[in-house]
Formats: sequence, C-alpha cells, structure tokens
Amino acid sequence: MKTVLKNGRVLDPSQDLDFVGSVVLEDAQIVEIGEEVDASGADSVMDCSGLWIAPGLVDMHTHLREPGEEHRETIRTGTQAAAAGGFTNVCCMPNTSPPLDNPALVDFILDRSASPDAGGIFVAPVGALTVGQKGQQLSDLAALRKAGVVAASDEGGPIQDAHVMMRAMEYCLQLDLPIMAHCDDRSLSQHGSMNEGAMSAMLGVPGIPRTAEEVMVMRNCLLSLNTGCRVHILRVSTWGAVEMVRQAKYLGAPVTCEICPHHFTLTEDAVDEFDVRFKTTPPLRTKVDVEILLQALSDGTIDCIASDHSPYAPHEVNVPFDEAPFGMVGLESTVGATLRLTHNGVLSPLETVRKLSTAPAEILRLDAGTLKANATPVAQITVIDPNLEWTFDVNRTFSKGKNSPFDGTTFRGKAVLTYCGGEVYRDPLFDDARSHIALA
Amino acid sequence: MNRHLLAIRHLERPEIEALLSLAADFRDRVEAGKTVDSGRGRTVGLLFFENSTRTRVSFEQAANYLGMRTVNFSGAGSSMRKGETLRDTILTLRYERLEALVMRHPSSGSVRLAADHFGGPVVSAGDGQHEHPTQALGDALTILERKGSLDGLVVAIVGDVAHSRVARSNAWLLSKMGAEVRFVGPRTLIPSHTGKLPGTVYYDLRAGVADADVVMCLRLQKERMEEATLASVGEYRRLYQVTRGVLRSAAPDVMVMHPGPLNRGVELDDGAADSPASAITDQITNGIYVRMAALHWVFDGAAKPAAGAKK
Repeated sequence: MKTVLKNGRVLDPSQDLDFVGSVVLEDAQIVEIGEEVDASGADSVMDCSGLWIAPGLVDMHTHLREPGEEHRETIRTGTQAAAAGGFTNVCCMPNTSPPLDNPALVDFILDRSASPDAGGIFVAPVGALTVGQKGQQLSDLAALRKAGVVAASDEGGPIQDAHVMMRAMEYCLQLDLPIMAHCDDRSLSQHGSMNEGAMSAMLGVPGIPRTAEEVMVMRNCLLSLNTGCRVHILRVSTWGAVEMVRQAKYLGAPVTCEICPHHFTLTEDAVDEFDVRFKTTPPLRTKVDVEILLQALSDGTIDCIASDHSPYAPHEVNVPFDEAPFGMVGLESTVGATLRLTHNGVLSPLETVRKLSTAPAEILRLDAGTLKANATPVAQITVIDPNLEWTFDVNRTFSKGKNSPFDGTTFRGKAVLTYCGGEVYRDPLFDDARSHIALA
Repeated sequence: MNRHLLAIRHLERPEIEALLSLAADFRDRVEAGKTVDSGRGRTVGLLFFENSTRTRVSFEQAANYLGMRTVNFSGAGSSMRKGETLRDTILTLRYERLEALVMRHPSSGSVRLAADHFGGPVVSAGDGQHEHPTQALGDALTILERKGSLDGLVVAIVGDVAHSRVARSNAWLLSKMGAEVRFVGPRTLIPSHTGKLPGTVYYDLRAGVADADVVMCLRLQKERMEEATLASVGEYRRLYQVTRGVLRSAAPDVMVMHPGPLNRGVELDDGAADSPASAITDQITNGIYVRMAALHWVFDGAAKPAAGAKK
C-alpha cells in the first residue's frame, strides 16, 4: 500500500525543512519526502495544496483520568479527542485514582491505549514521583521507567518539601528520567481561586499570588542546576516565571518549560461574572504577562506548547467558583489557539510545528516529532489547514469534558488529518475532493 | 427576564436612585403607620448558608411590611450537608413554588449561580466577599437622611476592606452617586491591586479620615489575627480605631457608621460609637426599608421613582 501526501507545505523542524512538496508512505512508514517524489504505483494520493504536512503533534500534558475517574474522561475518549486535535502522541499525567505510582498501572494504560477502540495514537505515561503523590516517599522509579514512563511528576500536588525534591532529582538523574514540575507553593496558593490582582480584588475572590508559582520555579530551577537533573516546568503563566527559566538556562541548568494556550490567550479579566470555565492552575494572569510570555515563546525561552487537557464532568463544574476544580479541556482547541500566534506573526509555521511536535518529542526523547524516513515506529503525520475557519463547539467534541474556555470561539487553522501508522482522524471539513485522487 | 439584585456594580445610577427613593417612600409610609402591602400573596424564601441574625431579621421585617410570606432555610440544616449541590438546592426551591429568593452564601459569585437556575428574582443578602448590596443601600439611605445628598461627599471606609462585601458594595454605590471613596486600613487588609475598585487607598488613619464627611468602619474578624494578617487587637486599636480624637480631623459634621455586629472598643471606641455623630442605629432601621424596596423592585419590572428620596 503506497500513499502520497502531495503538494503540501512540508514542515519538519527536526531537519529544519520548510518546502512545498510531498511525503510518500509505504504501508505504515514514511519512505520519502521531497519536492519531487516517486509517486508511481501509488494506491492513494491526497492533494495537500494549501495545507501543512507536519510530524504528528505531541501533547506533553494531558489528563486521561483513567483509572478511577472515568466520569471525566477515559483512555478511549481522551485518545479520540487527541487524534481529532491533531496529536499522535500524548503524555498522560499520573494524578489518577489511584495515582500511577506502580508498574501495573503503567501496563494497564499502555494496554488500554493500544486497544482497537481507542484513538489509535501513542500514549506515553508519566509516572508519579512519590508514592500516592503524597510528596514523601519516592515511587519505584526504576521499575516505572522499565514499564515505560517517559517522565516523573507529582503534577497537581507538587512536592512542597525541598529536601524531598532534591533527592527525587538526584534519583531521577541516575535513571535519566526527566521530572515534570508543576510549580506551586501551597502555603501561598491554598486559599485562592484566581490570580491575585485587580480582578480578584473587585470580585472578592481570594487570590493566588504570582509569587506562589515563581518561588517554586526558582527553587526547582536551582535544584536542577545543582543536581543536573532534567526538569520540565509545567505550564508557566507569569513573566517572572519565564525570566527565572531564562536565567536558569543561561546558567546551564537542564531546564525546559511549556505554556498552555489559555495562558497565552486569556487573562484574569475573563473571570468576570465568576465563570468557572476560566478557573485553572496556575490561574489566568494579566495582559503584561501574556505579552512577555509571547515574547518568550518567540525567542525560544518557552520550549513548547501543551494542552493541560483537564476534563471534568458537568456536575463538578456547575458549582460556586471557589468550590470548582481547577482546569480546562484543551486537546481539541490547542491547534486552533496556537495557529493564532502563527497568523499574528509570533511564531513562524516551522516554529509553530516545533512547539507542538518536535520540541516536546525531544524533551521526552520520544520516537516522534520528525518526518525522517523510518525514524519512528510508524509514520506520524498531522495535516493542518492553516486557514480553515471553524467554531469550537464543546457539544461536538470527542472529550467527555465540556469545560472549555474556548467554547464558541472561532479559530483559523485546524488539524484536518491525523495519521499514526494509518489514518486515525479525518476532519469532516477536510475537502473530500482533494483527497484520494485516483492516479490517472 | 427576571430582575435580580445581586451587585451594586451592575446598577446604573438611575436604578440606584429608584431603589433609594422607593425605600424613602416605604419609610415614610411605615413610619406614618400606613400599610404598604404591595407584596401580598407572594412567598419569598430566605436561604442563608452563613450565620446571620441581623440581615435575616431585617429581610423578614421587610417582607412582613410588604405583606409577603417568608420561608426560612438555613445552611446548617440544609440538604447541602447531605451532599446536594447548590444548583440542585436552588432548583428544589424553585419547584417548591417560591417566587423569590433572598440568599447569603460564603462563596463569592454564588448568588449569580442561584439567579441562573432559580427562575425567579434573586436578592443577594451577602455574596461571599464580593458584595452586599442591600447593606450599601441602607447605608446610603442613612447618609441621605443626614446629608441630603451623596454627591461630593468624602467617605472613608476603614478596616478590613480586602475581605469585606460591605466595603465593595458601598464603594460602588457611593462612587456611582458622586461621592469620593477612600479605603483606609493596613496593607494586609487592603487588596494589593485596587485598580478595578472605585476608591483611593490610605494606610494612615488620620490622613484617610481628614475632612471626611462619613467614616464607615468595617467589622474586624478575629480569624485575621490567626492568618498573620494582623499583629494583635491592641495594635489594630492603636493604629486604626476610630475615636473621638481621630474624628477631630474629619469634617465638623462627620457621621460615623458601622454595619454591625460591632466589636466595641476595637473598630470604634465608646466615645465615637455613642456620639451624636454615630448613625449605627439608623443603619439598622433603614436596612428594613431598603430591603422592602429591593423585594418590591425585583418583582416590579419597572420601578417607578417615588417622589422625595430625601427628607
């Protein structure tokens, strides 16, 4: 079976390639890319003119909720949502119930994600850094690594004790396992529900000071610098946090960081009228933060973009603001929200693809993020229509979670075809006329 | 569309004027011994998820004067303790055929959630730390009785502004009506960012009350000491207690207010609390009239401004 994706804008940051050309697939593998390719004998040719042909997108930060929280999401619905959002790889966070702190649970996730009714994409589990994510005793990280985790994290319940975090880094350095660190000093954030600022003051909602995030970014950067452990800072949201990361990188710490679309798109002002859809951690910040975060994305201080897809059941979010959980869904809106930055000139098309695919793949050393022939277990390709205008509607998503800040938002740009060893998603808006053109 | 009274911030000046003039009209009729009775036959639910004696009694009195029946719910005995969500509690009350809801809840924004689901008018009786609109209306009526107008007055709001729904509602109401609002208190009890609140900040009591026409003290909660927001009651008293001595730097005819319950000897000393400048007891009585106005107004889509808001 030979398939040709023809006449698209081929964007492969792993090889710094940006040209109009074609990608040839033989069975489930990429065999050739180039301006002119050998399309003879192709069973199927898809005309990709006007579209981007990119390596399959990688989401470093997803909550699939299974096991234990299947009312919010399952591996099946979550991977289907990911495929529909253009992702061929997602990293699922360990704060399930029970948390992913033992190899049996990792096996369970890998099995479940490989089942035929799942989304057909790769799931790379992130193991719990401490037993029960309690921040005290280290999990059996060597066993977890062997079972297949690609990183360790205590995610939403980050380690408060600096000594425990230092030991965790020393241990993970030995295992060559990166730590993903959500940076939140609970003693500063525990009473708050939104950014501490003018908006929280007006609404009478207890605030989360920016210092709660920044003090932990600084601590984790220093621990990374002094231990040598690779640390990935999850979802930065303040200008101070990115300045700390910038400084840590300058000093040579093996630190990377990500940003979520809501943090570069929205501000605390969205919380007016106590709309729970805009409650997240770290909280939405201010216009000044957004401006500096965009600069940091553009200059490379922020390595990648991640969804922090955090689905909740409707009954969990239909409550007063301070009782509502932190988090929002993102798998199916991340490409749309990120392409805004491309259209605004913040990111070039190649940098856009780097932030969504190659960079996260490199940080986690996944077999992904490239269009090189035979470089990944199976071909992973995402075809993006950068100009397709569409309106995000939570009632038409695959995810069980409907708690999106972008419901009703019109985006320009969408993943229209997701290929992961085979076609796993084709958007209904992907013009059938341009696909499967039989060779004359 | 139902009319609600959830926050002063959302009201336009003519609406505030309408409510105040309605309240003044009700006051005159009640004090003249006339019946009002405009709400006869209606049933209003009083739903309090926080302890309250004064505000609940005030709403009950208001409903009584209007001829309304009241049904009481309190947070302690409610189904919320049995795991029911606020939304389901509100839906239950809707289908119990209550026509309006007066609600107090410790979560800011919860009255908005209630209004979205109740299906009839909702009146806030205290919305977390967000707003307490009927308190501000009662305070405004009290100031109007003594000063004749709110326009151009200097009002110092003293104390725990950060946690106070009373401070927020008063700041919005007074500023919308043309008064100058000052927030006075220690840095730990004034929000760190006040750019979206209508007032200027003073950390020094004497500077804050200088030439003030109204000094409005806020209640100090004891838990503020436990959270390290304050050193001690003694230190607060020395720095922020409103005394007769402090009032000498205010305008000569300054009036002193407090929403209650008063920690006598903390926010105010006896000299200030019991002086002729004190309007604390008037605030209580006027609270009834503005709550009558609120209950009448939410049912009456087009409240007609009654004549004579001022004495």
